[in-house]
Amino acid sequence: MKARILDSTDVLKIVDLLQQQGCEVFAPFGGRGRDTCYDKVTDQNRDQIQIHLPNPYYPPKRFIFPHIERLMKVQRSDGGIQIEPTYREPKRAIFGIRSCDVAGIWHLDRFFLGRDFRDIYYDKRRKNMFLVNVVCTDPARDIGEECFCVCADTGPAARDHFDLQLMDLGGGEFMAVAGTPAGEALFSAPFFRKGTGAHVARRRAILGEVRKSFKPSTTSWFSAAIRHVSAGRIQEKTWEEIGNRCLECGGCTYVCPACTCFTVSDRQIGPDEVERVRIWDACALGGFTRMAGGHNPRRAVHDRRNRRFFRKLSHYFIQRELSMACVGCGRCAAVCHGDIGMPSIVEMIRRETAEVDKHEPVAR
Amino acid sequence: MNLSPVKNVYLPKIAVLDRVVDEIAEVKTFYWRFVDPEEQAAFRKFRPGQFAQVSLFGAGEFPASLPPSPTEEETFFTVRTVGSCTAALHQLKPGDKFAVRGPYGNGFPMEEYYGKNLVFVAGGIGLIPLRSCIIYALAHREKYKRIQIFLGSKTPRDLMYRDNLREWEKSAGVECHLTVDRAADGWTGNVGVVGSLFKKPGVQVAVDNTVAFVCGPPIMFRFVIKDLKALGFQDKNIVSTLERYMKCGVGKCGHCCIGVAYVCVDGPVFTYEQIQKLGEDI
Repeated sequence: MKARILDSTDVLKIVDLLQQQGCEVFAPFGGRGRDTCYDKVTDQNRDQIQIHLPNPYYPPKRFIFPHIERLMKVQRSDGGIQIEPTYREPKRAIFGIRSCDVAGIWHLDRFFLGRDFRDIYYDKRRKNMFLVNVVCTDPARDIGEECFCVCADTGPAARDHFDLQLMDLGGGEFMAVAGTPAGEALFSAPFFRKGTGAHVARRRAILGEVRKSFKPSTTSWFSAAIRHVSAGRIQEKTWEEIGNRCLECGGCTYVCPACTCFTVSDRQIGPDEVERVRIWDACALGGFTRMAGGHNPRRAVHDRRNRRFFRKLSHYFIQRELSMACVGCGRCAAVCHGDIGMPSIVEMIRRETAEVDKHEPVAR
Repeated sequence: MNLSPVKNVYLPKIAVLDRVVDEIAEVKTFYWRFVDPEEQAAFRKFRPGQFAQVSLFGAGEFPASLPPSPTEEETFFTVRTVGSCTAALHQLKPGDKFAVRGPYGNGFPMEEYYGKNLVFVAGGIGLIPLRSCIIYALAHREKYKRIQIFLGSKTPRDLMYRDNLREWEKSAGVECHLTVDRAADGWTGNVGVVGSLFKKPGVQVAVDNTVAFVCGPPIMFRFVIKDLKALGFQDKNIVSTLERYMKCGVGKCGHCCIGVAYVCVDGPVFTYEQIQKLGEDI
């Protein structure tokens, strides 16, 4: 991977370059208080783009896998049916995507483009997407209470799957790392210059420090939780305890950068015209597995919570996609009213195991 | 990563309804074909136990078992009206257009069962997916040893595929036993749950070198499994086909997951041994 150095005053010129290439660029902006969001960059808001800010709750995966997306349009005429697929492949870039969300998009890549059946709608959007990753280096602004990318091994600096990575080295300098040929092509711009060994040493030192600035978290037990879930060692009462705290709002899935489930619905858009859309769906919702006629195999709420964490933590699925469906962004912990985001789940599993082990020692 | 061009797996192809046959209350059989003969030829490579996604635009899409055997000429679905999509299909008249995509799923590995006895146990409309295997097995009669069919329904009026039943009852190559929960209309046959047929005098269920196909409502499934195990069946020799709420049919929408398996791509056919290892109730 090639790297270059640029002045912090030139960083937003990368946005200009991408726009000149015809990209619709999305970048993070600050709102009031903790509120932040991704928005389309225009001439008016370009200078308000923030490099260091709390990661927006609404994940940038929606620029590739939209919340609601038309799959096809169907027209009826003279007893016939015309089906016309709707493809949208805008040339887009996300500027300032965090490392956890880069891992989330990689997970979607593995899921939607892997195995026998591939998703053409995802493929078309993904091919035209350019990712500019920003490394979280500011403990006060970038790293939140809930962040645990260090435990999920996705950050604070993504190792791969971005086109370009930017890292604030302090002292008015940024390091840019190219992850793809398209990213490297940007280095022909005059504001990039070659770095020195001192820059590399600074990068290493900063990353070493940043790793220490994560809040002491229960998620250091993350890999053990994966082991326990994979082995089916979690007791029913723990799932029930988790289920009792679930309000069935589906918020955790809507903010999750790695959730993939969707439902499909037809809606009338004209007298003889129907559109088929897909919409994000959530396994927390009661109707997720309900069949016509009313039979619902996963009726109890704890069965559904069990499902979410089994899907995310079971080794079987990690192996199936060669990527894990939890990237350590901590959003679920921030939005959950019942405090059963991933870090709490890990803690509840740890507590349960400690309890079980006390009664039945492992070494006998 | 797979680099071949990406096809649109969600795009159904237009089909035309040829005729509709009433089976039992709320259940009809719909004979159809694709408008495009090439699509028809491609679809006809389906295996017993596979399913298709049926589109009724405006209502939606639903998964439907394929009751025909690939050895038969006609293509059809047998569907009970339970929700809005199936109700929309029931509204269609011959000549009406709808759309289908598939076939999907693993299907029954009928070739692996060559040289074995086959025992089919179906309850009610559980016969729909098993019909495909039965017809297939009878079309390749010399490849299999004994073929036994045990079929249960609520009342004599709820017996479906009557032409086939009459044929199977008369045929020398197959032992067909029927039972109903409640006798009516001058029924002289067996009364009782389907498992009661196994103990009937004169019935001897093949157990060694045998595969048992079980399909029916959850309660029937549980009891039949118990009965089969009491007869000496091993879990790996009992196969079934599962049904789930499904949107995509290709392992993406996430609705049909049971434990570690996507019913649409890893199933819908599972052995009882596999079902127990899924990690979630069926």
